[in-house]
Formats: sequence, structure tokens, C-alpha cells
Amino acid sequence: FIFDFFNARLHFGCSRMQMYPLEMEGNSNPKTTNKPKYSKFTQQELPACKPLLTPEIVIAAFALIGALFVPIGLASLHASRQVVELVHRYDASCVPVDDKVGFIQNSRTDKTCTVTMTVPKYMKSPIHVYYLIDGFYQNHRRYVRSRSDKQLRYKSAAHLTSDCVPEGDTADHAPIVPCGLVAWSLFNDTYTVRVNGVVTQVNKKDIAWKSDKNNKFGKNIYPSNFQKGRLIGGATLNESIPLSEQEDLIVWMRTAALPTFRKLYGRIEKDINANDNVTVVIQNNYNTYSFGGSKALVLSTASWIGGKNNFIGIAYLTIGGLCLSLAMGFLVLYMVKRRNFGDPSNLSWNR
Amino acid sequence: MTLAIGDGANDVSMIQMADVGVGINGQEGGQAVMASDFSMGQFRFLVPLLLVHGHWNYQRMGYMILYNFYKNATFVLVLFWYVLYTSFTLTTAITEWSSLLYTVLYTSLPTIVVGILDKDLSKSTLLAYPKLYGSGQRNEKYNLNLFVLNMLEALWQSLVVFYIPYFAYRQSTIGMSSLGDLWALASVIVVNMQLAMDIIRWNWIIHVFVWGTIAATVICLFVIDSIWVLPGYGAIYHIMGQGLFWLLLLIIVVTAMVPHFAIKAFSEHFVPSDIQIGREIEKFEALNQCVYGPFIC
Repeated sequence: FIFDFFNARLHFGCSRMQMYPLEMEGNSNPKTTNKPKYSKFTQQELPACKPLLTPEIVIAAFALIGALFVPIGLASLHASRQVVELVHRYDASCVPVDDKVGFIQNSRTDKTCTVTMTVPKYMKSPIHVYYLIDGFYQNHRRYVRSRSDKQLRYKSAAHLTSDCVPEGDTADHAPIVPCGLVAWSLFNDTYTVRVNGVVTQVNKKDIAWKSDKNNKFGKNIYPSNFQKGRLIGGATLNESIPLSEQEDLIVWMRTAALPTFRKLYGRIEKDINANDNVTVVIQNNYNTYSFGGSKALVLSTASWIGGKNNFIGIAYLTIGGLCLSLAMGFLVLYMVKRRNFGDPSNLSWNR
Repeated sequence: MTLAIGDGANDVSMIQMADVGVGINGQEGGQAVMASDFSMGQFRFLVPLLLVHGHWNYQRMGYMILYNFYKNATFVLVLFWYVLYTSFTLTTAITEWSSLLYTVLYTSLPTIVVGILDKDLSKSTLLAYPKLYGSGQRNEKYNLNLFVLNMLEALWQSLVVFYIPYFAYRQSTIGMSSLGDLWALASVIVVNMQLAMDIIRWNWIIHVFVWGTIAATVICLFVIDSIWVLPGYGAIYHIMGQGLFWLLLLIIVVTAMVPHFAIKAFSEHFVPSDIQIGREIEKFEALNQCVYGPFIC
């Protein structure tokens, strides 16, 4: 009889005669059951929403993106077209001789150069004056690391120049402040701007970030032993001005992301009218000739979109147009090939 | 693949030889249980073990492996494209702290939570249509085609994340840390949006972890850029104050997601898998009939 009982259980698998062994004795006693305490989390029954892509949602999403992006693209293009920008490359024209490297490295040559531009449209102040450098990899790994941020802020950290090699210490092992290749290669062209013959002042105050001036560069740190070596990489610094006020240095030390970059030189705080002649007298000191780089002078008005850049407007228009055409494409596809939702006859074994 | 189930001492060698051995803890003693991979109290528990838990496990593992490869590939490719513009020196586009925190904090927790909690079909659907189990047998959630598609999506999204800011900021005054912050934030948002699009069941835990991770990323970027010793000091405050940053973030996220969304919309409607039909049945048809016998529903 017992054998038949077990045989029946094995054949019918899930017969109701089988009971969990422990439950046979005192099955109303909670201490002898191994059933875990029920919780929605452990039984994976948390309430949840199950979004599903229906045709309405797909078409609405694409149409919404298209409807949003096309106006943004048009607004961006409009803002970019409003920006008036004058770019004048001067490194080739300012050095008339063939041996440009020799010319620029010779401290006795006269590096004054005059550049004239005609303003095509009315430029509203403030007009930003930038220098645009091409081919200069400020993002080179060794260059980027060649600085000492602690030294820039604390007088007591002046000797921490180990990261700044080869521009860390002088030949007498005195620390250079500010040390490193980034500071050593400081840009040193100067621009004197005349609008219709009248000298217009270029305001060089407040061109660096406030956060840098206040917290990254010390108010009691003065340059010492700077550019005193055999190789001069760029500008020299006035040793009586503290680093927090050396704004050209601060702007230069915020290393640029890409090899073609511009940095703020100053601002012109007067309006310039259309067809005005802008003459800039440049001291062409900086050597971009050794590595095949180029320099240019840029005068630009500002807008909420930054400088003159049609890319963002064109990109928005492209993606907006693409999404609108995808919306229409999907609409056509959904109408051509319909399918019932949630129809079990679509399951692969029912077809 | 073989599964062997047994409850007695004579079943031990069979259970050990099979790929998956299931032992029944019952009247015949505990030897089968000790030799098995899974043990249970009754033979009928085999049905939910395979059809429900086995199916869920396959779907979760398959998706998580593919997603992990994809999210790391996207991030690394963004770093790779930048190397082309640093004279081939290995300057990282993204600050070193953000690179470290990417796998640890910015993208890890949503992955874990989705891998534990997400389900494609409910228990009742899986038990009502046992042939849905065939999706695992046919390798529908993890196969070479899916892997290649994943890698192509990673490639596309890394190109979008890198090049849209590149063209927008190409000749501007942008600094390395500011652009790096934009790349980091865009990568994290794109990768989490991709996960969000593939999550099938949104419960409150998944909501908290997915959106919370993006918020945590923003907080970390602010914290990293508030340390004066690091080169990126102040960068995020500066760049977030520009309108161009937000416009770029929006277009990067949308452009990166459009192919995935379009492929998903197309394949789910015009070449639906059984799982997809199952999901629709759950949502649009009440499951109130039991067709397959008295002990399965």
C-alpha cells in the first residue's frame, strides 16, 4: 500500500496528495513552516508601470521633437547671424622675410606691424578682442601637467616645482614662480586699436574668471625668476604685480580644449559703426613659426549663443527635419501595415 | 542543455551529469538535494522554476551583459576621439576624477537595480504561455547580432557626444575642463537614457536609481569643480551659465537616442518577438482564461 502511494505521487507529479513533510506535523504552527515572510520586494511584485511603444506615442514623440527643434534651430541661426565678427590672420603678412623663425627669435628686429580692417556692420559694445591661435596643442599631456597649482596660491608652496620640469627651477635651483611650461609659453603679442584714427582703449581688466582671480591665484604671490633662463617661451611678467592681478597669465593658464583656440585679450567699450576703419598696431612677438602654427586677431560682438557659430542652428534644423520625416515615415508605415495589438494569434506558434 | 530532476539516491549520478540538476527534498531523503544545483520540495515547482525564474534570469543576464559592454564602450570611445585632437598624447577629455567615478558611481547603480528587478513578462503570462520559454532556447536575448548592434550604437553615440560639442566650440575660448564636463555629463545622460528606454517595468526603486544617478552625477561634477587644486576649478559653474551648454546637451541626448528609438519602434511593431506580443497581451488583454490544464494557472 505504501509503495502504491509513492508510485502514484511520482507519476502524477503535482497531485494534491503530496504535502510538504514538515507541514504534516502541526501544520497550523507557524514556527515549523519554512515559508518566507511575504513582501512585495522579495516576491518581485512591486507595483510598476509598463510603458509600451504604441504607434501614437512613436509618431507623437518624433513630431514633438521636430516641432521643438526647428524653431530653436532658426532662433540659433538668427542669433549667430546677428554676431559681427572680424577675423584677420596676421602671422604670415607681418613677417616679410623668408626666415620667419630667425626673424621672430631675434630680439633686435622691429616686430611692429599694422593691420587694417573695415567693419561691415554696426558693432555694439562691448566688443571682444581675441587672439586666435591655430596648431598650438595646449591639451598636450606633458604640457597640461607642467604647472603647480599649489605654488600659484600659497607663498609657502613656492618650492613645490617637481611637476613643472623642465621649467621648475633655475640653474641655481631657485624656484621659478609661476613654474611650468604653461606659464612659460605665455602669449605676448600686443594690440593697439585705432578706430578711424582715434586710439580706442582696450580694457584689459576683468578678462579672467572671477573664481580664478579670487581663489586659484594668490594675492600675495609675486613672480620671481620668471623667463630668466636661456630659452624664452613668451611674455615676461611685472614682478611687482601679484599673480591674482596678472589677468593675461590667468587667461592663458586656463588651457584650451582644442588645438585651434581663441583667448580673450580685452574689451572695447565703445560702439563701432558700419564702414569704420579699424587699424590695429600689432607687436608681433610670439613665435608660432617654429611649429607651423598661425595667429589671427578677432574682433567680435557677443550674444547669448557665444561667438559666431552657425553649427548649432544647422544641427537643430537637421535633427528637427529628420525627426519630422521619421514621424511621417512611421505614419505611412503604420497605415500600410496594420497589426492588432495584444493579439495572441501573432505568437509564433499560432501563426 | 539537459535538466535532470530526481529525488532519490539513485538519481544522484544523473543529477551530477546533467547541465542543471534539480533535487527534490522529500520522502526519499536528502542525497539528491546535496548533489543538485537547485532543490525544491515538490516536482511541480519545476514549472515556475523554469518558465518564470529561468526566463527572467536569462532575460536579465542577457540584457545586462550587452548593456555593460555598451556603456563602457561609449565612454571609452569618447576619450578615444579626443586623443585625435591632442596630438595623440593621452590627455583625457574628461577629468580624472569623473573618469574614475563613471564606472563606480555614475552608471553602476542603475545597472545593478535593473539587473535585479526588471521583468519582461509577468508570472501569470509566462505560466499561461509556456512556449514563451522558447525565446531563451533560441538565444533571442543574447546573440552575435544583438552584440554587433550594441557596439554600433555605442559607436554612434560616442561620435554624437564627442563631435557635437567639438563643432560647436571649435574655435572658441572653451577650456579643457569645461568641455570635459560637458562630455562627461552628456555621456552619463545618454547612457542612462538608453537604459531608461529599455527598462520594461518601472517601479519606484528603478525610478529613484536612474534619475538619482543623473542627479548624483551633476552633484559630483559640481563638487569636483569646487576643489581649487584641480585644474577644472570653477569650470562647471562657468559653462552652465552659457545658453549654448544647455542647447548642446539637449541636442546631444536627442540625436544619440533617435536611432535606438527608431529601431525599437520599428522592430517592436513590424517584426515583433513572442516576448513583445506577450507584453502587449498583458497590457491590452485581460488574462482571465486558463487554457493549459488545472495545475499550471
